[in-house]
Amino acid sequence: MLDRRRLRDFDWFLALLAVMIAVFGTWQIHNAVPGQGYWQKQLIGIGIGLTAMFAVAFTDYRRLVQLAPIFYLLGMVLLIIVLIPGIGLKINGQRAWISLGGLGQFQPSEFVKIPTVLLLANYFGKERRVALGWKEIFVGIAILALPVGLILMEGDAGQAMTYFPLLAVVLFLSAIRMWIVIAGLALCLIGAPLAYQVGVATGTIKGYQQERINVILDPENADPRGYGYHTVQSILTVGKGGLLGSDDTSGKYSQSTLKFLPEPQTDFIYAVTAENTGFVGAGLLLLAYALLLSKLIYDARRAPDRTGMLIIMAFVGGFTFSIFINVGMVLGMLPVIGVPLPLVSAGLSSVLATFIAIGFAVSVQLRRFVN
Amino acid sequence: MKFQDESQNLRARLVVLQLGVLLLLGVLGVRLYLLQIVRGAHYAEMAENQRIRLLPVPAPRGVIFDRNGKVLVDSTPIYNIIMSREDVRNYDLDTLVEPLSAGLGIDPDFLRERFEEIKTQPQFESVKVKEGATPADIAWVEAHALEHSELRIEAQPQRRYPADGTLAHVLGYVSEISRKQLDEPAYQARGLKMGDTIGKEGLEQTYDHLLRGRDGYRKVLVNSRGQIQETIETVAPQPGQDLVTTIDLEMQRAAEERLRTSPSKRGVIVAMNPNNGEILALASYPTFDPNLFTQRITTREGRREYAALITDKHRPLYNRAIRGRYPPGSTWKIPMAMAGLMQGSISIKHSEIACGGGITIGNKFTRCMSQHGTPELRYAIEKSCDGYFYRLGLKMGLEGIEKMVDDFDINKRTGIDLPHELISWTPSREFKRKWNKADPEWRDIDTVYASFGQVYDIVTPMAMLRAVAGIGVGGTLQVPHLFKEARAVYETPAFAARPLVAYQSPAPKVVPIAEDQHHFVVEGMWNVVNRAGTGRGIKMENFEIAGKTGTAQVAALGKDVGDNKDHSWFVSHAPAYKPEIAMIALIENVGFGGTYAAPASRAVYDVYYRETRGEEVTETELAKK
Repeated sequence: MLDRRRLRDFDWFLALLAVMIAVFGTWQIHNAVPGQGYWQKQLIGIGIGLTAMFAVAFTDYRRLVQLAPIFYLLGMVLLIIVLIPGIGLKINGQRAWISLGGLGQFQPSEFVKIPTVLLLANYFGKERRVALGWKEIFVGIAILALPVGLILMEGDAGQAMTYFPLLAVVLFLSAIRMWIVIAGLALCLIGAPLAYQVGVATGTIKGYQQERINVILDPENADPRGYGYHTVQSILTVGKGGLLGSDDTSGKYSQSTLKFLPEPQTDFIYAVTAENTGFVGAGLLLLAYALLLSKLIYDARRAPDRTGMLIIMAFVGGFTFSIFINVGMVLGMLPVIGVPLPLVSAGLSSVLATFIAIGFAVSVQLRRFVN
Repeated sequence: MKFQDESQNLRARLVVLQLGVLLLLGVLGVRLYLLQIVRGAHYAEMAENQRIRLLPVPAPRGVIFDRNGKVLVDSTPIYNIIMSREDVRNYDLDTLVEPLSAGLGIDPDFLRERFEEIKTQPQFESVKVKEGATPADIAWVEAHALEHSELRIEAQPQRRYPADGTLAHVLGYVSEISRKQLDEPAYQARGLKMGDTIGKEGLEQTYDHLLRGRDGYRKVLVNSRGQIQETIETVAPQPGQDLVTTIDLEMQRAAEERLRTSPSKRGVIVAMNPNNGEILALASYPTFDPNLFTQRITTREGRREYAALITDKHRPLYNRAIRGRYPPGSTWKIPMAMAGLMQGSISIKHSEIACGGGITIGNKFTRCMSQHGTPELRYAIEKSCDGYFYRLGLKMGLEGIEKMVDDFDINKRTGIDLPHELISWTPSREFKRKWNKADPEWRDIDTVYASFGQVYDIVTPMAMLRAVAGIGVGGTLQVPHLFKEARAVYETPAFAARPLVAYQSPAPKVVPIAEDQHHFVVEGMWNVVNRAGTGRGIKMENFEIAGKTGTAQVAALGKDVGDNKDHSWFVSHAPAYKPEIAMIALIENVGFGGTYAAPASRAVYDVYYRETRGEEVTETELAKK
């Protein structure tokens, strides 16, 4: 399997960039919670993730795509299992984890993105001559609806949201008619505020969720002890970093040590990054993401087939969305939603799923000369 | 593109996605720039504010001593419960009223007022919720650290005054600076802030700038719950300067004891060194407990106590020595006698004036207490002959009396180092015009009244003492004062040393009195005590008191009219011809001066004699009383 040609053609740039981001993230986790073992666990997670990445990269993605329905079904089983009290762990009101003993918890909703993408690629990857029909669109929606529905039952709306860009990108690249795209965008622009109004009126959007949205509009006057607290503290933490980051090497005065910043190693890891490394470090991280995503898109263009292209681009959509939601939240532009920052937030599931996704991209790219 | 694709412009769509990714990341980058570079300093400051607290370490005030080093006032540490500004930012403070008043036994109205003040004083650093917390209160705060992490315990030195009210009017008291004072530029210039304790009356007020220490602070790092993580910096406070007063505590106690045991329990005794103006005793009765203002004023009981004090018709909060204005009665005859000689209305050789048992002006007869023939001045003083002074007054005329008042500064503040001194009312045409609308013209009968310490002579005991003490030493009127020195305070790491401040004596007023004339008047005063005069009951064997009694008419002279009996006065100095001590005593509404005020003075002289001569007083007639 591991012949010289494959090693030569292997997308080392992509893998190295991903590892660098992940290691940089581990340093930030160390900054956030120095003595709590999170960064060691994260290193283990990166190790496992790299192993998985290589395994996937050297496997022909087309064979895996053929097996997509089976993976998908397995994923659904996991999503159902996690809902069973006693097996599924409830953390912060969300029953989204299965305990793995010493290694921590395993979050099926992170992994199910992979079979979902594979199934979408399987379905939409056929040779295409005409524009996308309504039937195909509905099948795509159905493939997405099942995991999203199950994840919503966990109470994890943030995670459920990250599934939408997977389908959106696949549909967009599957010759969906432009008017539908434009109509869809327009619907979002008009519909989101409208849905918010309706949600508030009917009580579907809870008080704390409203509060989280209001704080974005006016963070400094929000009740800093209420739901605005997270956003306000996150903004302070970021702003405090300045150009070069905090010069407090001991971390004694850091926002996370003093417990002003909540969830510093996961949801708000980017704030920790900004505090410690300043605009230079946090900006470089954004550049690294831009590079990573651009390289993925580059690989997608050179994919040997439509299936491979769709797999890579679906993941690009997923990553971009997660990065934007997470960093946007940290920078006080978006409400607080529990979406991890890919490769950086502490969490085995997220790291592993991200490396597997990159493994698929490498796998596609390895086969670009084969037809 | 490796694969053949005829679907709609896939290549373009990929470019759109690529641009979309870069656009989103670019938006994040711009926002990052705004937060970190444009507003970074602002957020860094906010972050600093929320993690740093300055906890005050109040400085102890200087101790106040008497002239012999006896402690009059000092401070003992108490515990206060305070809240830090940062911890209650954006708090709905009203929700704290109920739990805190219940848990700590604080008057809810007081808390509400206090929280109201916080709203108008946005720059406060910390606010006292409860002063003098008990061990139970402290335990409560510690037990409720989770719900009420905003509460902290602060040690603060608290003033302890003599609880029986000894020297209350001299010492004054401290209390928290008022909102009104905070708005005044004079207080702002001194850097005083809400919650600061300042001297509000007496020496505490006059010498606040010396007594006040310099507060220290503790800069601490707190976490999001307000729990202290570590102390970053400690600045130790520097205590205030100790104040040595001119008061002699033993004499003071004797004076207060006499007032307390007098029939009306109201009056003033002031003893002063006439040679330099040092006040040895200043007693004003009734008195009050200054601890009310430092310890109890924030409680419901304390407020009731205060209300009772300010509505008490005998006005215990009032320093009678400088704020009480009384007709001086016959003690007025001393400046009259002196001025009569100085102005040439009488002379040493020809000082005889008829008594006449009184005087008839128009159709009104104003009587003398007795029939003294045609006495000379010394005898008139000895017997307190009213008839003599009626006629002396007429000889001097209103202008002569006004000149006397002016010469002896009776119409001015004495300049004593206590706040709120009042000016006496003295005879003048304006005075009559103002107060007697029915008959505004000044008449001879008014001159008669003005010449024996009634009607137009309404003086503060302090002004009266300064005048007669000045006469006693031959014309030098010192400024009475209580300040002897403020002791030096050593340098501390944060604050410079404060050097010793000694009393700077202002130039005394010198009234040119011929020595023989001075001697002549003092002889009269000597007679009062040492011969068959009105004050003979207090004669001391080895310590010659020269004095003058006074019985000032309040309603009708010499009649027992209950609460409106005559004021009993005695002005004196001793030794008669080489004065070391001058004294004024006033007992309100008790009757004859020789019966009450003179023996009260004697009790203070006894203490002075014992202290300065080192021997017990040989008992004389006083023992019989």
